[in-house]
Amino acid sequence: MSAERPHVDDEVDEELVFHLQMVARELVAQGWQPAEASAEARRRFGDLAYTANYCRAQDARRDQERRCMTFLTELSQDVRYAIRSLRRTPGFTAIVLFTLALGIGASTAIFSVVRAVLLEPLPFAESDRVVRLWAQKPVNDVQEGAVSEPDFLDWRASSRLAQSMGGFWYADGGSGVDFTGDGTPARLSAALVTDGFFETLRAPVLLGRTFNADDQLEGRNRVVVIGHALWRGRFAGDSSVIGRTARLNGESFTIVGVMPPAFTYPSDAALDVWIPLSYFGPGSIGRQRGSRFLQVVARLAPGATVAQLDGELRGVAAQLAEQHTANEGWTSVKVLPIRESIVGDVQRPLALLLGAVLLVLLITCANVAGMLLARTSMRERELAVRAALGAGRTRILRGLLTENLVLAAAGGALGILVGSFSVRALLLRGDIVLPRNADVGMDGSVLAFAVVLSLAAGLLFSIVPAWRATETSLGRALRAGGRGTIRASGRRLRNALVVCQIALAVVLIAAAGLTTKSFVRLLDVDLGFDTDKAEVVGLSTPSDTDDDEARLVYYERIIDAVSAVPGVTAVGVARDLPMQGTGEMVRPSSHATLSGEQRELHAHHVSAEYFTATGIPMRSGRSLTLRDRAGSSLVVVVNESLARRFFPGEDAVGQQLLFGETPVEVVGVVGDVRQRGPAELAEPLLYLHVHQSFRSRMSIVIRTAGDPTSLMPAMRNAIWTENPNQTLTFVSTLDDILGRSVARPRLLASLFALFGLLGLALGSTGIYGVLAYSVSQRRQEIGVRMALGAAPQRVLERILSQGMRLAAAGILIGGGRWP
Amino acid sequence: MSPSSLPLLQGTVDVLILKSLACAPMHGYAISLWIRERTDDDLQVEDAALYQALHRVERKGWVESEWGLSENNRRIKVYSLADAGRQQLRREVIELRRYFDALFRVLDTA
Repeated sequence: MSAERPHVDDEVDEELVFHLQMVARELVAQGWQPAEASAEARRRFGDLAYTANYCRAQDARRDQERRCMTFLTELSQDVRYAIRSLRRTPGFTAIVLFTLALGIGASTAIFSVVRAVLLEPLPFAESDRVVRLWAQKPVNDVQEGAVSEPDFLDWRASSRLAQSMGGFWYADGGSGVDFTGDGTPARLSAALVTDGFFETLRAPVLLGRTFNADDQLEGRNRVVVIGHALWRGRFAGDSSVIGRTARLNGESFTIVGVMPPAFTYPSDAALDVWIPLSYFGPGSIGRQRGSRFLQVVARLAPGATVAQLDGELRGVAAQLAEQHTANEGWTSVKVLPIRESIVGDVQRPLALLLGAVLLVLLITCANVAGMLLARTSMRERELAVRAALGAGRTRILRGLLTENLVLAAAGGALGILVGSFSVRALLLRGDIVLPRNADVGMDGSVLAFAVVLSLAAGLLFSIVPAWRATETSLGRALRAGGRGTIRASGRRLRNALVVCQIALAVVLIAAAGLTTKSFVRLLDVDLGFDTDKAEVVGLSTPSDTDDDEARLVYYERIIDAVSAVPGVTAVGVARDLPMQGTGEMVRPSSHATLSGEQRELHAHHVSAEYFTATGIPMRSGRSLTLRDRAGSSLVVVVNESLARRFFPGEDAVGQQLLFGETPVEVVGVVGDVRQRGPAELAEPLLYLHVHQSFRSRMSIVIRTAGDPTSLMPAMRNAIWTENPNQTLTFVSTLDDILGRSVARPRLLASLFALFGLLGLALGSTGIYGVLAYSVSQRRQEIGVRMALGAAPQRVLERILSQGMRLAAAGILIGGGRWP
Repeated sequence: MSPSSLPLLQGTVDVLILKSLACAPMHGYAISLWIRERTDDDLQVEDAALYQALHRVERKGWVESEWGLSENNRRIKVYSLADAGRQQLRREVIELRRYFDALFRVLDTA
């Protein structure tokens, strides 16, 4: 029999050969010769080679599909088993899920802010080629100076490395236009831009067009590009808005374009309108070399670098400084990629926060790993039994891994929920305006971050327990009964994890302490004025007349109207309130012994009652009065810093300052004020009476007897009774303005405090987990000790000292590098 | 192939295999004998097509196979009907019957 069996390659061959032999045998029985019968059987079979191949291919695919099915079945078994086993220990599962949700949630929330502010591309095409330009005056240490229009035009004409260049004038809360017509009058935020502004940014327009060079020409420059929010709010998102007119500052402007929501440059939040700069004629803003007011953006020519453009423009600036006396000292420029110029001042806090949040995440992982380690140890017997019943080691390992990944996935899902809630809560606090606030939110990349984070966390806290589990020998685990195998290495590992957690938590808390301390110091600062019970209203007097006399009358009428509101005790007006503006730069020509830089002062235009209303104390001399008017001799009130610098050791009252040829008499000295906000020291300031030097911007401080917010409606009505078309730029309280100015430090401090607490709580649960586990493991031993007469107190002491040693080690390591 | 035999409709081999295995598990050669006996050679199933169909329905999970020994101790691959195959057979019989009923309703009235 074996002699006639041909060589068999595989099962398919074996099967087919058998068939052919059976057919041949049948034929022989019918009378065929054996050799011919074999050939006939083959002939009758059909295409043998193809069939064999076909069958092999089918078998191979079947095997593959079966393996895949097995894998999926086992996986779903693993997942179901994991869920069942997690539900058997609901307390453990809940703690782990809670821990993960907090850790991943916090990281996701902070990441979504960081992504929007620091990582997302700006809404301009090829935004990495766009730079911001400033003029520099090294002798006075002016780093980021504005540029005059003639200088800007010269820069643009001489630069070969800048493909295009545009200028704009924008002041947050300062530059604005009155919008009248449909509905209530409103003050719109506005940026005045030169030609080249939109071209440089290459911002895609939503509707219509942006400006071209012709739009700057006198007579054709009553055109406006509007922002998305204004378009939706005032024009109902109507796409036929292009070509319609809008009344701005009492003039008709043709709407030529609508920008998409992402484009708000140069504002952080939202900008209402962009207007050609030439709309402000030379009468409003000077066009001489000395009038530096323009901010400049440029797009690098292909191949040019920031450094090259910097070099080229320095040359141009140096040349201009030689040619024009007004440019004396303005010998240099500063070039910065536009992203850095936008996010510069929040880059560091955000990076710090991200670091803090990563620490929290590490603590979370260490914590969860510790808990899982303890849990795995307690389950050694169960695992040993499963192994004894035939589950392979890899299968058991996979089961453990699945369990951890199920935990991580569930924790991640919860974390995403927590994260999106926190982001929303963060954004709902209107006082926190980050650059690019509008872009912050949960999206695909944030979700991907969270998913990767939770999976990575899952793997990270799987490694140690899984590695330990496979190391355990079966026999030992079974012998040890339900107590698990107590091994020194396992205990050391858990202890190390706890020490790590405590150390990281200490680092976090130290950081939280530092940020909180600097924040509290900000709040404790004596600002020099009284923020309590003071309402503030901002407005600009109408620009329909050039007659200062008439505008002053209007100015006083507004003050009188507001003063007449019951409950108001004092009303003062300044062009710039503290924390909102720094006033205007002036430099007296007297006092040549002081350097030019030391002589630079900020001048504030105020009403007579300003000091009373803000609570700035008079130190000596008199305040400004209505007798200091247009015709009378110029007088100023100075602050103590100025008096100390210009008249050291003397009484400043009665002294004179020279501005050009004009002498100005100091009539009074008032206390110092932190004009730039609580974080900045007081500077020398002088105060001019608005009747002697008119400014149309009015920031009215209204001191009230009771709660200032309750008077707000009456205040508005009083102003609108005087002039129903008067737009208000802001209505607030001094407390709110102060709150806003410290909003970012406060946010930073409170987030750090939160993360510190989180880290501490996690570290504590870590210690608790390890102690609880070790006590449960040693219950027998403790029982024996107590039976043998050990005092309960001794036992307690031993356990407590174990926990304290861990905490102490963690604190020492974490505190090591902090002062 | 005798000239009187009919060409086979696509997919019919599958049904024939399922039907044969519904009686008893058997190896490939036995299935070919079974089909020949039942059809009196009217339906000529080529061996190549039979084996291709066998491996195909096995991949689909309608039949299962295992290796056993024949009476004279040869290793043989024995096929048996799986549960899925039993259901498939029932479905296919119903479908085929409907198909031919419909076909002959047309042909007979003509």
